[in-house]
Amino acid sequence: MTLDKPFFDTDIAWCPGCGNYAILRTFDKAVEAAGVDRKKLVLVSGIGQAAKLPHYTKANVLNGLHGRAVPAATGIKLANHELEVVITSGDGDMYGEGGNHLLHAIRRNIGIKAFVHNNQVYGLTKGQASPTSDLGFVTKLQVHGVYSQPFNPLAIAIAEQCSFVARSFAGDMQHLQQMMVAALQHKGGFALLDILQPCPTYNHVNTFQWYKSRVRKVDGSHDPYDRHKALDLALKWGDEIPVGIIYRCDRPTFESHYEVLSRGALVGQYEGNAQA
Amino acid sequence: MDLNIRIAGAAGQGIETTGDLLVELFADQGIHCFSGQTYMSRIRGGLNWYDVRVADRELFSGREKADVLVALNDQALDWLQGDVAEGGVKLLNGSGRDDAICVEFEKVAKETGGSAIMANTVAAGAVLTILGYGVASLEEHLRERFARKGDEVVAANIACARKGAELVASHAGALKGPAGDNAPRGICSGNEAVGLGAATAGVKFAAGYPMTPSTGVLTFLAQAADRYGIVVEQAEDEIAAVNMICGATYAGVPAMTTTSGGGFALMVEGLALAGMLELPIFIFLGQRPGPATGLPTRTAQQDLMFALNAGHGEFPRAVFAPGTPQQCYELTRHGLAVAHKYQTPVIMLSDQFLADMRKNCAGLDESYRPVDRCLCLDPSEEYLRYAVTESGVSPRAIPGGNSFVVLDSDEHDEDGHITDHLATRVKMQDKRMRKLDGMVAEIMPPEWHGPPDAEKVLVCWGSTYGPCREAVDIMNSDNRAVAMLHFQQVWPLDGAAIRTTLGVGRGIISVECNQTGQFARLLRQVGAVSDFQLMAKYDGLPFTAEEIVRRLQ
Repeated sequence: MTLDKPFFDTDIAWCPGCGNYAILRTFDKAVEAAGVDRKKLVLVSGIGQAAKLPHYTKANVLNGLHGRAVPAATGIKLANHELEVVITSGDGDMYGEGGNHLLHAIRRNIGIKAFVHNNQVYGLTKGQASPTSDLGFVTKLQVHGVYSQPFNPLAIAIAEQCSFVARSFAGDMQHLQQMMVAALQHKGGFALLDILQPCPTYNHVNTFQWYKSRVRKVDGSHDPYDRHKALDLALKWGDEIPVGIIYRCDRPTFESHYEVLSRGALVGQYEGNAQA
Repeated sequence: MDLNIRIAGAAGQGIETTGDLLVELFADQGIHCFSGQTYMSRIRGGLNWYDVRVADRELFSGREKADVLVALNDQALDWLQGDVAEGGVKLLNGSGRDDAICVEFEKVAKETGGSAIMANTVAAGAVLTILGYGVASLEEHLRERFARKGDEVVAANIACARKGAELVASHAGALKGPAGDNAPRGICSGNEAVGLGAATAGVKFAAGYPMTPSTGVLTFLAQAADRYGIVVEQAEDEIAAVNMICGATYAGVPAMTTTSGGGFALMVEGLALAGMLELPIFIFLGQRPGPATGLPTRTAQQDLMFALNAGHGEFPRAVFAPGTPQQCYELTRHGLAVAHKYQTPVIMLSDQFLADMRKNCAGLDESYRPVDRCLCLDPSEEYLRYAVTESGVSPRAIPGGNSFVVLDSDEHDEDGHITDHLATRVKMQDKRMRKLDGMVAEIMPPEWHGPPDAEKVLVCWGSTYGPCREAVDIMNSDNRAVAMLHFQQVWPLDGAAIRTTLGVGRGIISVECNQTGQFARLLRQVGAVSDFQLMAKYDGLPFTAEEIVRRLQ
């Protein structure tokens, strides 16, 4: 064994056919389309396969701890709210280990965009159930199938009046790009984009075809400002899975409450201009 | 001349407002004073007390006996009168007892000032009269304190103070309080001093979850936020708090969190994150007796080893432990500077005794003097966040500038991206740990107090400073050669230098508020001492000088 050479290629660690490739390519296009200045883009992630995405594009990166992308992103956004802070992480990271942080980030309505790659399974740890796995989903660890009701991120977000709630599918890159651009252009606070993503290695139930045959784009008649209708859509799961902008509401952003931040980014106020 | 006034009663009875009023008044008069609080974990009821000690010399700790016991209920009188010094005075908020001077504070306040809320003013008027001060200075103090609330409030308070004095007139001057001396006129608690140190040093973001005895620092920062331009956020939990400050420091803003042992336990993974990402986070850890919830409102120095060893993997850190409010202020500023210079976590240890202690402070500078963030503000296109350097310190740029700044909790290469290359791993681990060399070269030397040729040395750290220092003075006034060696920096340590300071043949007694002698064992580990005696205390109360002297004999 020699220490002079890497053991394996560290370029991209995803399986062939992984939905993350489509999400990565679409993300790059969406950043262009939304006119985001990459120098001001910060990608924050926790741990998991999705959480590796920031390494494969050009941006500032904080790839932190499992489940802790949200608080790290919160600190970044408050320190410099002129940055575009985007979380790209998975369902285990955001809905499991970091669930509490998600609840409170939505309450705050801080200007962070969370793109959650939701493949309903744990990839990095090799195939255990995730918080969004369907009831009865059998794995090496959940040998008799999952007993716990799946976490419904959209319904929870709507219940908390998240200012932007959308869902898309990694198999429809055009739709995904639209959703990403809409989230990136959302100026009203926290945006949650749940991205359905096949995992060809560990999820043989919720496959590309499984999603493809179920996703239904919400039509133009849906008013995302109608909270009850939005909740009806969010509760749909099974033969039909709605995708699109499910819910929006207007609330003050967390940053807007701080008088000190109205004077500019906190980081720019360091050298000697405090009133003291 | 050394008098201790103990205000005791149930939680919710106004113990703190009475104690605060007295200690602030004494400080205003330039009288040397020191106060400390002993309380139970409840909002109503129980038995709590607040000691205000005054003397004709600088004070550093509390005393066991009370010269004046102000009992706010009968139970307090019954329970605590055994601790009244010979010749002491007992003042009861009540009536009909012949073992104390009885004044019904609330009733008098209501009749005289129109509201029971001024009971503390009645009590203060009575106490000051018993100590022979009269109430003229109290009246002046009340005028200033309530000026904004209008003439009526001022007049009502002054009437209450006078009435309190009148009702104990037959005991006027029963004890003689020290004269106003040239003691510094400011007053500060340990927690306020940490907050002020942080605000003036440029902390711009603070996140924490309330936990006794650290909450006062977060509260101070919240109240100073508009003045100093700080964003303060009550996080959903301590895990969030530490990750938030990691994010904020990454973005270029000095940031801190406040917690106690249980909360710090939750922060441990985040601490390691800051070690790996090389972020200058500052953690204020107010210790209390554990394990688990322990004694939430009592004091202890039990988390030294925990602070030192917390976090998986190996990374450099500095740990500081101030002993007085003044040291809290200076050390917070110093700690933040060290964190930024070496891009690594700094932990400051306090405890309930230090958090709540108030004493005269020579005007802490409130002006904004931010520490050097040691940033690289104009990185080139080829910028590498973790460039390998001789010192181990890499130029630190922040996001939003000319180059991308990439941080990864995985092992990473100089560019910050994930790697599994084992030679790189060794190179980066060495780089991080090399920072410790610079930190060692800048260690704050411990403070020696007492005769240079002392036969015995009390070794201590953090909040035991005051009790040890006073014990040394008591012993030496009696011709017993004892000295103190106090450490404000408890990590890293320079074992050889400490060994030289301690010399040979001296008796080493480690005075610690824990059971196992954590600091003494650390000193042995770094080769600073071979043998030591341990004076341990872990009943949840702070040491007093009297106890140390007693246990030395």
